[in-house]
Amino acid sequence: MEGILVEGLNKTFREKNRVVEAVKDVSFSVGEGEIVGLLGPNGAGKTTTIKCILGLVKPDSGRIEVGGIDARREPRKAAGKLAAVLEGARNTYWRLTVWENIVYFAGIHGVSLSRGKEYFRYLLSVLKLEDQKDVEVRKLSSGYKQKTAVACALAKQTPIVFLDEPTLGLDVEASYDLREALRKLQAEEKRTMVISSHDMKVIQDVCERVMIISRGRLVTDEKIPDLLALFSARRYKVVISQNGDAAAIRAAEEKALERFPGCEVKRSPQTVEVFVNLSDGRQIYELVDIMRASGAAIETITQEEVDLEKAFLEVVRREARACG
Amino acid sequence: MWLVVLKTCWVKTYKLMTRYLFNMLSGFVTLYIVFALLFFGAKSIGGGAMDLGDTLEGMFVGYLAWMLAMMGSTDLAWNVTNEAQTGTFEQQYLSPVGYGWIAAFTESFNFIYNVALVFLIAISMAATTGQKIHLHLGSTLPVMLTVYLQANGIGFTLAGLALIYKRIQSFFQVVQFLMVGIFFIPWDRFPWARFLPLSASQKVLQRVVIDGQKIWEIPASDLILILAVTVLYLALGVLLFRLAESKAREKGLLGQY
Repeated sequence: MEGILVEGLNKTFREKNRVVEAVKDVSFSVGEGEIVGLLGPNGAGKTTTIKCILGLVKPDSGRIEVGGIDARREPRKAAGKLAAVLEGARNTYWRLTVWENIVYFAGIHGVSLSRGKEYFRYLLSVLKLEDQKDVEVRKLSSGYKQKTAVACALAKQTPIVFLDEPTLGLDVEASYDLREALRKLQAEEKRTMVISSHDMKVIQDVCERVMIISRGRLVTDEKIPDLLALFSARRYKVVISQNGDAAAIRAAEEKALERFPGCEVKRSPQTVEVFVNLSDGRQIYELVDIMRASGAAIETITQEEVDLEKAFLEVVRREARACG
Repeated sequence: MWLVVLKTCWVKTYKLMTRYLFNMLSGFVTLYIVFALLFFGAKSIGGGAMDLGDTLEGMFVGYLAWMLAMMGSTDLAWNVTNEAQTGTFEQQYLSPVGYGWIAAFTESFNFIYNVALVFLIAISMAATTGQKIHLHLGSTLPVMLTVYLQANGIGFTLAGLALIYKRIQSFFQVVQFLMVGIFFIPWDRFPWARFLPLSASQKVLQRVVIDGQKIWEIPASDLILILAVTVLYLALGVLLFRLAESKAREKGLLGQY
């Protein structure tokens, strides 16, 4: 099975004056040919998790299997199954051309030029790098540099690929091109891919499933449509008219916040909008009761459209509240 | 697989060298000018004679050995530092053959290039000083290889330290001066100095390049000594690099800069 299995992964960094628990008991699996997004705030443990799997960071404990190989016991054998783009546009030689970089990084993975030539050309065409083939990387824009790094990783033709922040620093068009290319490659090649990013569009466009890491813990592991459905079913917007009694509105806000911690309040001159996530649909009656008891006049109640960004923020905030 | 990786490393190293052509040429000119300054400076101060390893021959071979040692040690450490900075070190680390072999293949190309450069500088130096030299390939190359590999041992140690402690480039320069110091230590007063890296190989190199001895004319005990010292320091350097690499992985410092 050319997938990934992680069980009970732990990593703590010990520095002079502090101890950072970067990864805490993380377990997940990624099936063969599956494309999974890894989301998390800065410092959540995404890159450390990826680097542990790649063998670049030594975990304290846990089991890591890649392509059926115990990566901790046989790191070199496991490396043959893996390729990665790490931390954006780095990872390439800026004094070499795009083509020379591809040939080099494929070569040190044992893919000779004669064996890989056709595929390298195909990658150039999919990533729209054909015109830049013989240009030194240092002369390229950040978008092309990023695409070169992705091409170098894919050129190794490994069954498992990690892309850490592949769209970091890219403009809208370059990000769109890269997402298109990844979608096309995934549809044709069915490689196992893990994409870590702050860019929700990449994850939503390209991935089937999303894992959210917060404070070193894996807090969500859902298919993207399921995650969105979960939050869209729960998230409501209640609009209260500002024409009513100001004290009543304030009381309504306070009681809503007290009953539903984490709800958001947005004010405009005409209205007050209360966004609330309900764990049970029947809680909407409680919310209406709070408004009625406070004397606030409800204008509308609507179920909110939820995108991945909102769902992500909700998960992370919920986790932060749970951790105090 | 291994041949593909070897060829890939050689082609990449060659291409990067050609991209830094000006750097290459200025390196050659600088090394030659430094020697010329040393030589003419010493001549003018010492009235035509200088005591460096007692003779001009000592200075001549000392300089050749020092150049090679510098190329094999601090250049290697600089490379690892630069690769770590640009993120390519982590990519090489992900190769199924492992970083060690990639470094070895790259260094094998560097050795050939550096020896060619040292030969060229040696010929230029000989023309400047009038010193007669013998560059018998079969004898000179193996001895130079021992110098280079011992220096690689130092280079791997420095590279390992750089992986953990990062900005230690100024220490690399200190090591370059320490290597000069090693060449100066007289064996008669400090017999243990023969076991230091570079020291014994430099003495044998002098016999080959200046005295014109062939390698089979060198006493077996001396050859065994330089071989043993080479194996010792190379192995020690690789071991220390491995330990540093393991520590860097533990601390998550492998690609960080």
